[in-house]
Amino acid sequence: MTSGTLTPPRKERAAPDSPRPTRSRRKPFLAPYLFVAPFYIVFAAFGLYPLVFALQLSFTDWKGAGRANFIGLENYTYLLTSEEFWSSLGNSAVMWLLIVPLQIVGGLAAAVLLANARLRLRGMFRVAFIAPFVTPLVAMAQVWIVAFDTDYGLVNHLFNLVGLPDIDWLQSTVWAKPTLALLFLWKTTGFAIIILLAGLQAVPGDVYEAAALDGASRKRQFWSLTLPLVRRSIAFLVVVQTLAVFQMFAEPFVVTQGGPYGSTTTGGLYLYNHILASDLGTGAANSFLLVLLVFALSLLSVRLLRSRDE
Amino acid sequence: MTSLMTSRTEKPGRSLSQPRPGPLQYLVLGLLALVFVYPIWWAVSSSLKPPTDIVRDPLSFSLGSATLDNYRAMFDDVPIGTGFVNTVLVVAVKGAMTMFFCPLAGYAFAKYRFPGKNLLFGVLMLTLMLPTLVLVIPLLLEMSQLGWVNTYQALILPGSIDAFSIFWMRQTIAAVPDELLDAGRVDGASEFGIFARIVVPVIRPGIAALGVLTAMNIYNDFVWPVVAVNDESHQTLQVVLSTLAQNVTGNRVGADFATVWGELLAAGSIAMLPVLALFVLLQRHFINGILAGSVKG
Repeated sequence: MTSGTLTPPRKERAAPDSPRPTRSRRKPFLAPYLFVAPFYIVFAAFGLYPLVFALQLSFTDWKGAGRANFIGLENYTYLLTSEEFWSSLGNSAVMWLLIVPLQIVGGLAAAVLLANARLRLRGMFRVAFIAPFVTPLVAMAQVWIVAFDTDYGLVNHLFNLVGLPDIDWLQSTVWAKPTLALLFLWKTTGFAIIILLAGLQAVPGDVYEAAALDGASRKRQFWSLTLPLVRRSIAFLVVVQTLAVFQMFAEPFVVTQGGPYGSTTTGGLYLYNHILASDLGTGAANSFLLVLLVFALSLLSVRLLRSRDE
Repeated sequence: MTSLMTSRTEKPGRSLSQPRPGPLQYLVLGLLALVFVYPIWWAVSSSLKPPTDIVRDPLSFSLGSATLDNYRAMFDDVPIGTGFVNTVLVVAVKGAMTMFFCPLAGYAFAKYRFPGKNLLFGVLMLTLMLPTLVLVIPLLLEMSQLGWVNTYQALILPGSIDAFSIFWMRQTIAAVPDELLDAGRVDGASEFGIFARIVVPVIRPGIAALGVLTAMNIYNDFVWPVVAVNDESHQTLQVVLSTLAQNVTGNRVGADFATVWGELLAAGSIAMLPVLALFVLLQRHFINGILAGSVKG
């Protein structure tokens, strides 16, 4: 398309003797402020104000009605010594371990296969992997309820066909977390694959040619070239998914309601339980603790991924 | 020099020195693709089966026995029509706000110099890191103070102009050549006129990707709608769905177990349909949208 024809000039340049030369010189003063103002208005009303309010609230014993009494750090000390709070973080941490390493390794493997320029049906594979990412989570959570039912579900049906016994997927404290983790993995791994694929394709081909000429094996090329070059994509994914896993809410809310015996009460769901119980002061404190933790984890993972670079 | 030139014109990524993928690679990718697509296919096909078959033989599917009974039962049991109408309304208004105000603000950050710009932009970037969770409780209280619980404005206004979309549009608009804008100024266009008549047409693909991804996010949004709305007449589709699911898991009783499962799968399928159709039609924009998301790292 571009070959052969010269690209036409993008625009008519103004004649030097333009009748209104001053207009182009005039510095617009108000316009940029007007253009950015809507965001700051919406943010002030529905971001900053609630944030300040939440911070205040976290130092009170407010139950959603009546008087709010200032109780200092009591909500924070209560949470930090409460077994339920730590178990919600523990549940989220287990989910994290079940999800993030597998997703990064599996996603990278799939992305490396997809990055091969000689692969046929590439577009089809890409569409298949990303399809779960666009489906509504609530809808798929419902499907999980039916598919992982102990007595009549699809998964145990398949297990029985190959001679395996039934598993209490959603009623057992051992299996409920992996079942929800699987839902999360199914839903978001396509996203990871696309991000990693983009990272891989940003690597210029001649780098590999040069390495091959120097006699580097394909294994060696992967460890010394590919991996360092997609490190930024990996770091991005780790941060985004850490945020998502610790805030995970809809999966346990719809599929298990946090059970059995609180084994799938994630950080996000525990927070919601404060709302249900109208224990809003504690809830506000909980959200700040959760945010601090997620920030710390994100920073830590970025640092770890970076320091290996040097 | 010439070798460098040729390698640039080839497909992005590695060049042809790569080995042709073997059957094993196709097998792995094919199996993986099957795992990803099968749950969707299973849900949709099972929703068309007579309810008892879902329980008796979850694997079977024959077109001969296809029935819409599950859908009829679901329409009778939950206000899914209302949910759809509410969702469409929220997607349309909130999506329109995002698609109008975010490119506009992105334009200001990309192409103007003004006092306080760095500070304002810094604030914008900070808000990117604010997890939605921290806002849920105080935002809910604010809504009740305003008397906005169970209203459309509660569903629409929070997050209607988001920092990420502005940041993304700023990156897109930064690539528009300044000469184009100057030409518009010389022609006497107003500042807004330059945006609307010069910038918007040039970045149309970027705005399309923003629209597709925004629509998907709002359509699938769950946490805020489930907190902000508790009466049936304002529930979005996802909230209606979750109510249905909770009824099922709440009373696990034998008799009409199969019927309720049929309803669940029908509800899930009908909720997936619009967004999957949109995805198949516009998958290039979807993927561009997701890729733009990776820029923020």
